[in-house]
Parts: sequence; structure tokens; C-alpha cells
Amino acid sequence: MVLLENVNKIYRTKQGDIKALDKVSLHIKEGEFIVIRGPSGSGKTTLLLSIGGMLRPTEGQVIAGKRDIYRMSKKERAEFRAKNIGFVFQLFHLVPYLNIIENVLLPAGVGKVQIRSVDAEKLLKRLNLTDRMYHKPFELSAGEKQRTAIARAMLKNPRIILADEPTGNLDPENSEEIISRLAEFRHSGGTVIVVTHGKAVNQYADRIIYLEKGHIEKFSVSN
Amino acid sequence: MTTFHLILKEIKQRKLNFLLSLLAVITAVVLFVSFFTTGQASKDETIRLMRDIGFNLRIIPKKTDMEKFWKLGYSEHTMPESYVYDLASQEGLSYAHLTAILQDKILWQGREVFLTGIAPEISPPGKKKSPMGFSIQQGTVYIGFELAQNMRLKNGDKINIFGKPFTIAHSLSESGSEDDIRIYVHLLDAQLLLNKQNKINEIKALQCLCLVDNKNINSLALLRKQLAKVLPDAKVILIQSIAEARENQRLMAEKYFGFIIPFVIAVCMAWIGILALMNVRERRQEIGIMRALGFGSGKIAFLFLGKAVTIGLMGAAFGFVFGTGLALKFGPGVFKVTANMITPKIELLYWALAASPVICALSFFIPAMIAVTQDPAHILREE
Repeated sequence: MVLLENVNKIYRTKQGDIKALDKVSLHIKEGEFIVIRGPSGSGKTTLLLSIGGMLRPTEGQVIAGKRDIYRMSKKERAEFRAKNIGFVFQLFHLVPYLNIIENVLLPAGVGKVQIRSVDAEKLLKRLNLTDRMYHKPFELSAGEKQRTAIARAMLKNPRIILADEPTGNLDPENSEEIISRLAEFRHSGGTVIVVTHGKAVNQYADRIIYLEKGHIEKFSVSN
Repeated sequence: MTTFHLILKEIKQRKLNFLLSLLAVITAVVLFVSFFTTGQASKDETIRLMRDIGFNLRIIPKKTDMEKFWKLGYSEHTMPESYVYDLASQEGLSYAHLTAILQDKILWQGREVFLTGIAPEISPPGKKKSPMGFSIQQGTVYIGFELAQNMRLKNGDKINIFGKPFTIAHSLSESGSEDDIRIYVHLLDAQLLLNKQNKINEIKALQCLCLVDNKNINSLALLRKQLAKVLPDAKVILIQSIAEARENQRLMAEKYFGFIIPFVIAVCMAWIGILALMNVRERRQEIGIMRALGFGSGKIAFLFLGKAVTIGLMGAAFGFVFGTGLALKFGPGVFKVTANMITPKIELLYWALAASPVICALSFFIPAMIAVTQDPAHILREE
């Protein structure tokens, strides 16, 4: 589904070059639930953003559907993201001036897939956010915000959800809830790649990848 | 959810930024509209005020001895009255308000006085203007201040000049010049009294600066060239101080108009641009997530440029209303003579509606490009 071949990523700074990814090769299969772990600065987020077509590697290829996504034009890559990728971030990144249903419907403004507001309503119902539909993000708890972000990521039924520390700001109960939602997505046929420090996710993971200084230290296959 | 919907929602959320930007546009449009609503009145008032200073051209017979002319204040020689009509019939002349004059010094009631006959003003084709000098009826006189004082004459009194009766139509206020010992009569009366039928010794005129826009043209040389063709037996004297005062006043007003509006527009553009930059900084994460969701550069740019156009259109509408209101309220107090020329000018609304969105979009251009080119991955990694 997604193949990374010898991906290097170097950040050039005034203080010198920082190698964030070092010859990372990875094959992500359809329907997999992958967890990425590693210490701070090990390149987890860089890896996730590279897979998502957001961060061009310095070297190497990220192939999706037989095409290197970084050989696509910017417009094609944006369309690729809009169609195939859903993002979830630690800080939710909800648009503050839109209410919850409008936030969920935000991806509907791009791409060719027709989305109706009833689809967003169904999603919000599944995520127990029906009564929050017309609230603004600042009126929601952290757990509710993250569920909204998941609903937004799922709206266009993408092939992959990339989640960067989705439970980093949540209590254990809400963390469990979020992880189980991601697991539901995987059970419905989607692929999930989660960067997390939390242990609760292990039970759902097909593979756990340990990153250290930009390269994959080891794979661990979950039961 | 349309992009316009997003723009409106964002405006509603960040009201202060929007209102400050709107205020900048309104300020510029108010100035533009109020200036141009009162502008014509201002220009006309300047022209009228400067015109009232007096004629600045004197056309006299060519053979006039200038030493005597300056000593006496008029030419001893005459020229045919038809000259003024010949002159007035010419097109493309750079002077207007042509007035034929016949004057001489006479002894009246034991006093040496100036007798000045004035014909009604005539204008060259296409330059019909309201008269700026006296319009004296036959059989009436305008009498100078000193004469009226010394002889205790007042309006309506009957006087006799060389056996011909006249009524005083107007006793003039003090001028502080030889006009205070002058009697003005109709040209025909003067010709009769001086026995110089169909003769005049001067044509007074006002140089029409509007026809000499090119500052490199020597206006006196142009006048003399024009006159030489039409009236070879006459010459022209330009009273430089009055002409220059008129020209300088007009140029100053035009320079002021030419400077203040571009200056205000530039300041407002900078103001809007800074606010737009602040808006882009505030929306970095929002832009980041939109890029992650697949929003292209065009759509991101449109979010900002669309907002700029919205601000421009609203600013134009409000600015027109406020600017017109200000012009109508305060304009007549400032331009008393031409107050009735101050009316709402709908074409200024069209101009404002066309120009303000473009100017706002230009102000937003750099911030919008910053928004488009900023690296979303960098923003999203910042968390």
C-alpha cells in the first residue's frame, strides 16, 4: 500500500544539519495498525508527515499506488492527501471559528468526493458528539475535541489515518476511547499509523516500530 | 461549506482585525469621496475667488507709448471697437471675459476724474462664463468712492456729465486706488461723451489658465502669438502678479489633491498589510491543518484575497456613505460660493467599489503569499 525506500530527511539549520530520518525503509500493508514509538527527536513525526505527503524526504521514495508521491505536482499531492489520508494531531487543530459539524465538514471543501452534511452527522453520532454538533471547539473537553478531529479525519473515508500523539493531551479514559475509535477504523478496512508513547494502543497494533536517531531500531509484532 | 462561508466565519471570529482593516479602507474611501465630492466646488471656488482679484490681461493699441500708458493709466490711442468682437469670434484662444473699454481723463464739476466706458463682457465660443466685471446699463453710472464722498452722492442721485443726464446706479466702496475718482459708464455713453464713436482704447481679459496646462509653454508668448494673428494692430500686457497668483493657487490646489490621496492610500495599504500579516501569523496552525486536509495553494490564497475583497467592498460602501455625508454636511460651510455644486456623486461609489477591493487585495498579496508558501509540515511539527 505504502512503501518507503531508503528515506532520508535532513533538516538544515544555522546550527548545522539534523538527520531526522536515516535510510528508513518500510512497507505498510492495507488494513494494518502500526504504532511508532521512540524517544523525543527520534524522527517519529517526520516519518508520519513524510508518509502523509506533507514533508518531502531529502532522499528516498515514498510510493503509494505505484507512484512516488513526491514526484507528483503539489496539486496532485494535495488531491492525494484529500482522498487518501486523514490526519489526527495531539493538539487537535480544530478551526476555532467553525462549530463542530463545520470542522468535521472542512475536508468536504476539497477533492472530488461528494460529502453531505448527513454523513458528518452520522459520524458525530457514532462518536457520541451529536449534542456538541453546534458548539465551538473551545466549549468542548479535550476528549471531545480529539473525537471531533477523528471524525474530520474519517469523513472522506480515507485509506490511511495518520495520528501523531492523539492521546498525548488526554486522560486514560479518553485515551482508551480514542484508540478504540482508531481500531474501529482499522476493522472497517482502513490503515492506521499512530505515533504514541501510550501503552494502551499495543493491544490493537499489528506492528510496533521503534525509531532511534532517525532509523528503525526494531520491529515488534504484536499478538 | 464554501470558501466564502469560511471567510465570513473567520471575519466573525476575529472581529478586531477585520474592523481595523475595514477602518483603514473606510478612512481612505471617506477621504477620496469627500475630496472629490467637494473637489469640483473647491476648484470652481478657487477660480471664482482668484477671478475676483481682477483681469490680468490688457490689450491696447500697438502704437501706445508705454511710458505715457503707465503714467496715465490708459492708452492715448484708440482702436476699433470691432476688435473685441474679432477677438471673441476666435476659437482656441487662451483668454476669456473680454471687455471693451474706452477711458479718458476729464474735467467734471471742477475735478479731474477718470471716465471709463465699459461694454458688457463677451466670451469666445464655447467659453461662456458669468460676468466678472460691472454690467452697467446705459444712462447709469457707477461712481468712485472718493467722488461720492466729496460730492455727497448716493445711489439713485441724478448727475450730469457734459450735458447728458445719468442716474447713479451704484456708489462704489473704497478701493484704495485711482478707481476711487473714477466714473464708470456704459461704453456707448463713453463713446458719445468723448466723441469717439465705435472706438475703444483697451480690451481687458482674463487669461484662461485651463488652456495652458503644459507648464513648459510660456503663456505670455502664446498670448502674443495668438493676438498677432487676430489683431495685428494691438499688443498684450500680462499683469504678472495676478496671473502668477492665480496660476500658483490653482497648481497648489492640484498638487494637494495629487499628493494627499495617494499618500493616504499608501498609509492605509501598509496598515491593512500589517493587519493581514498578523492575521496570517495567527492562522498558521489553521493553514497547516488545511494543507494537511488537502487544501491547495489557490484555495489558501483565496481565503485571504477573498477576505481582502470583502473588506474592500464593505469599506467602499461605508466609506462612500460617510464620505458623502461629511462632504454634504461640512462642504457648504467651507465652499460658500459654490456650495450648490456639492451633491452626492454616484460615480464615486462605482470607483470606490472597483478600486478598494483591488487595493485591499494588493495589500493582502504579500501576507497571502506568505500563507501559501509557509511549510505546513514545519507548523504541524511545532506542536
